[in-house]
Amino acid sequence: MIGGFLDYSPGDSFLHRLNPLAKIFLSLMLCVSCFVTDSLYFCLFMILLDLAMAAWAGISGRAMAMLEALVKLSALLFLIQVFFIREGNVILLLPMDIRVTDKGALFSLLMALRLIGATMPLALMLSITRMNDLSNVLVGTLGIPYKYAFSLTTAIRFIPVFTAAMAGIIEAQTARGVSFDTRNIFTKIGLIFPLCVPLLVTSVRKIEGAAISAELRGFNLRKRESGYKNYPIRAADIGVFLFAVTVAVLGVIVP
Amino acid sequence: MILFDNVSYSAGGTKIIKGVSFEIRRGDFTALIGANGAGKSTLARLCNGLLKPTSGTVRTGGFDTASAKTSRIAKFTGFLFQDPDRQICKNSVRDEIRFSLECVMEDRDEIEMRCERAIREFSFDGEREPFTMSRGERQRLVLASVLAAEPELLILDEPTTGLDYRECMYIMDCISAINRKGATVLMISHDMEIVQDFAKDAMVLNDGMLLAHGRTKEIIRDRELLARASLLPPQITDLALVLGEGYESVVTVGDMVSAVKERSGSKR
Repeated sequence: MIGGFLDYSPGDSFLHRLNPLAKIFLSLMLCVSCFVTDSLYFCLFMILLDLAMAAWAGISGRAMAMLEALVKLSALLFLIQVFFIREGNVILLLPMDIRVTDKGALFSLLMALRLIGATMPLALMLSITRMNDLSNVLVGTLGIPYKYAFSLTTAIRFIPVFTAAMAGIIEAQTARGVSFDTRNIFTKIGLIFPLCVPLLVTSVRKIEGAAISAELRGFNLRKRESGYKNYPIRAADIGVFLFAVTVAVLGVIVP
Repeated sequence: MILFDNVSYSAGGTKIIKGVSFEIRRGDFTALIGANGAGKSTLARLCNGLLKPTSGTVRTGGFDTASAKTSRIAKFTGFLFQDPDRQICKNSVRDEIRFSLECVMEDRDEIEMRCERAIREFSFDGEREPFTMSRGERQRLVLASVLAAEPELLILDEPTTGLDYRECMYIMDCISAINRKGATVLMISHDMEIVQDFAKDAMVLNDGMLLAHGRTKEIIRDRELLARASLLPPQITDLALVLGEGYESVVTVGDMVSAVKERSGSKR
């Protein structure tokens, strides 16, 4: 599922055409603003902003699917968090002295919204930016050594590959008679552990193959100047930089 | 053994299988042929319930795959994937074969007996680490794991891809042997020579539709049909078709030699 979210979605929208650096900066600032704010409303606003940007980029369907997955994860985070905060007025008392307080509920809700609001911009940025562009801008503009930029982008690129590999392994084991079609979640988790072996082996093989292939194509000869593509900063990019800073500042000052 | 009744399957808004109906009887050896993207692997996955039909009915061994659990169907169905590494998950050959058996049966003694027999028959070192074996050996190990359970139905997704001739023949002889013992075999293959030599029946799939289902001998001689599915007949069949009259029954190289001898003899 994660793999699908991170795959590049081709398009020619305003957001697609932005300088990759502007996209990185915007997504980081949106992410930071969610972490620095203490306002539930601001977090909600940020999520809506993410959805609006996704619609603008023509990836609403993907954004909604991502939101659905993140809501499930956040709900789990909320449930774990809410029972551990004991400060504030009790609003729900459960057996074994398990209590839910108003402060606990609000803080847990804030954490859940932060998780959604901070994750979505990064995933959306990856959905509208080609890995090559991301890598080139990290090397050419930010001066990060190519080796590290390549490692980062390759790691991201491999996520969908490994997700597909895991799906294939689960399929093969199901065909073999392993009860992955059980509805018991604990049984299912227990069954997944042995599958780490084939996943690890296939992953290491793929990475080793990619590394050898890159080396044979002169990977180590590559320098900062090797990239031929330029990414000029245009007026629209400057506008996006300013917008990103404004959002981050709002995150700090909104009560 | 397998009954498809007007089966369609869609994924991500794309119709992959379109109204396919056929029946494979117990003991048949059927090859499923078609170009890349024709829907062969999807059809194979529909057979054992890995995928559920969007419409229509698939019955395998009497079970409706839409409602039966895949793990239940796996008790009498063996599935061999193209990539053996998807299936191998244990640290020794013995554990790997044993694991396959444990999934489908409970009698410990029977499991041990079948496991040792498989190791012997396939000449494996039981303690060997599977991931240190060659591609062909890993494919043989996966086949051994599947065959040890003595499945009534064997579904093979391009079992010989990437193997050398010797490994290929070894695998096909094993499959042929289990078919002779009564198991039903459904094999996806791109290798028309393999299809010609081993499969009694063939099904031609193109763009999710079943173009033909019949005797392999007849199907591989139908140039027009094969062309519609972007396939070519095996070379020996192609030669026989070019030679025309007197070579209609040629299927193997042996047949060709006999036919040539017969014709040259008659000329003399």
